Amino acid sequence: MASALDHVAWEACLLDPRRDRALESYARRKMGMPVPSIRYFTSVPWFARALIDLHPEYGLLMHLDQHTADVLTLVVSQENSCRFCYAAQRALLWAQGMSEARIQRVEQNLSRADLVPRTVAAIAFGRSQSRVGPAGAQEALQALRRAGFSDDEMKEIAFTVATTDFLNRAFSIPAIPSRPLEQMPEQMHMRLLRPLINRVLQRHRFRGRATPLERLPSYPYVRLVKAYAGSPIAPALGQTIEEMWASSHLTRRCKLLMLAVVARGLGCQVCAFEVSEALQREGLHEPTLTQVLTHLDAPDLDVLERLLVRFARDTIWFEPAALQRRTRGLRDYLSGPQLLEAIGVASLANGLCRLGAMVMGHS
Amino acid sequence: MTWTVVTAAVLVIIAILGGALYRQRRLNQNLRSQLEAAAANLEKLQQACSRLAPAGVVQRLIADDVQPGTGPKAERKVATALFVDLVGFTAMSERLEPAVLARVLDGYYQRMSDAIDEHRGQVGSFVGDGIVAYFGATQPNPWQCDDAVRAALAMRAAIDEYNGELDREGLPRLSIGIGIDRGPGLAGLMGSRDRKEYAFIGRSVNIAARVQALTRIHQVDILVTETVRDDLDPGFVLVPMPAEPIKGLTKPVMTYAVRRRSTGREPAVG
Repeated sequence: MASALDHVAWEACLLDPRRDRALESYARRKMGMPVPSIRYFTSVPWFARALIDLHPEYGLLMHLDQHTADVLTLVVSQENSCRFCYAAQRALLWAQGMSEARIQRVEQNLSRADLVPRTVAAIAFGRSQSRVGPAGAQEALQALRRAGFSDDEMKEIAFTVATTDFLNRAFSIPAIPSRPLEQMPEQMHMRLLRPLINRVLQRHRFRGRATPLERLPSYPYVRLVKAYAGSPIAPALGQTIEEMWASSHLTRRCKLLMLAVVARGLGCQVCAFEVSEALQREGLHEPTLTQVLTHLDAPDLDVLERLLVRFARDTIWFEPAALQRRTRGLRDYLSGPQLLEAIGVASLANGLCRLGAMVMGHS
Repeated sequence: MTWTVVTAAVLVIIAILGGALYRQRRLNQNLRSQLEAAAANLEKLQQACSRLAPAGVVQRLIADDVQPGTGPKAERKVATALFVDLVGFTAMSERLEPAVLARVLDGYYQRMSDAIDEHRGQVGSFVGDGIVAYFGATQPNPWQCDDAVRAALAMRAAIDEYNGELDREGLPRLSIGIGIDRGPGLAGLMGSRDRKEYAFIGRSVNIAARVQALTRIHQVDILVTETVRDDLDPGFVLVPMPAEPIKGLTKPVMTYAVRRRSTGREPAVG
């Protein structure tokens, strides 16, 4: 199945798959079928769970129609050149009964001007957020409003774009193999199973229901989670953030430094302020933080922090193969779980900072 | 008799339908292979175009379905311009066979471009034996000055290594001059209706080119302006040079030669 991203260079996978029955069955229960890619992420459970829990297909969207969410996922994955996510989204469309010709028409239509204004505005928003980040957020949000999206729909669009940015990095940085997904429609047994797969997928793709927010995550990002209060997005986001802080492969200070660098690189004032405050509570002096944010280095940083602030910066705008090669170089300095957690934190930082600018600026 | 006629008629109809179906299938196959060939050509074209514009720009033009004669709007940005030029190129070009000269130049362009790419810069254009590169022109980059100077140091190292190869082949050594300045300008696709190129236009590009020329006067290889120095990581070792007048500016310009990065704390990754 030829796709628009076939020419995107993709290195050999950086991670070794490792079985974890509990996580695999968690993914299977939630998504309705085995998720083989989850095995690459099992050494950092919060990251593996986030890939499942933050996926916009499964019970998180209450207001935005699924078609717009699907188109956004495809567009953002295309912008980020994520072969894995793009192939996954294509495989999903194929499993739902779309022919190859029709999928290609959908792809071609993404750039056509004769789409309904709502879809055009949503696509433009997805592209602008992936290309320029927070700098273009307000202008893109205005365009969404003019196209008739409600406040709740706009927040779900922002979430879909941000979470796709997160998923794209999670799969692109370690070069998770995309071939199995790309070849799926060509395999005879998958063709025979296609109606069954479709039924299972339909059963597990469900609309979100109002969910009370029972616990707020510890500072920072409280405001961001609160902005989704009442939606199932809030507890999913809150739990992911909490679990990320609780994981011990990297220190909290190191994770905060990575978040601060991404916020600075994207120009997200709201996140930068919150993360800076959190870093000062961790005992990092302001001049050191200023030096880190200005030059990605400071004498007070340890070797790991020095490496990871630079790595975090590399994940903001990237070409997959170049980033994959650079990340491979980190394997000499980090343990497997440390590297995976670093990929998780950087990926989440990119999603959260984009979401922060879109939603907190908006609300 | 009637049955025979009916059977014959049915057979004829089946044969005609079969023939039509066969023709249609062949036509479909033909169209599919044409479509695949067109897609392959488009792919080659896209790859060729990506050599003419910064990475990502071509894909975006295609994704946005940009029509000829139109294009994304140019935007005002603050970017860092780097200008690198070969020292003594004219004399060398007179001594070498054209084929050898072209090979030496290709090696130089490749190594310089790799150093620029590696440090998140974009090659804007090749101007004779010079190269113009931008940092922070296509995407926001608050670390653009550090990136540009790191790229310049990588270029210096790459030329040293290349000179080793040239020595082994008995070819003349290359030396470069690099000028770096930062300032506001206009970034985007620019040009005539028929021919456009991605460019960053601003005073800093001209200043970078003229500062590069000062490397001959000061007998150094990398010079940055005061604007760049003010934004630079204090870990870089800089040496102030005497102020020199440059064309287009009323006051003499202070420049700083870049020696190296003082701290060896960074592990080399990637």
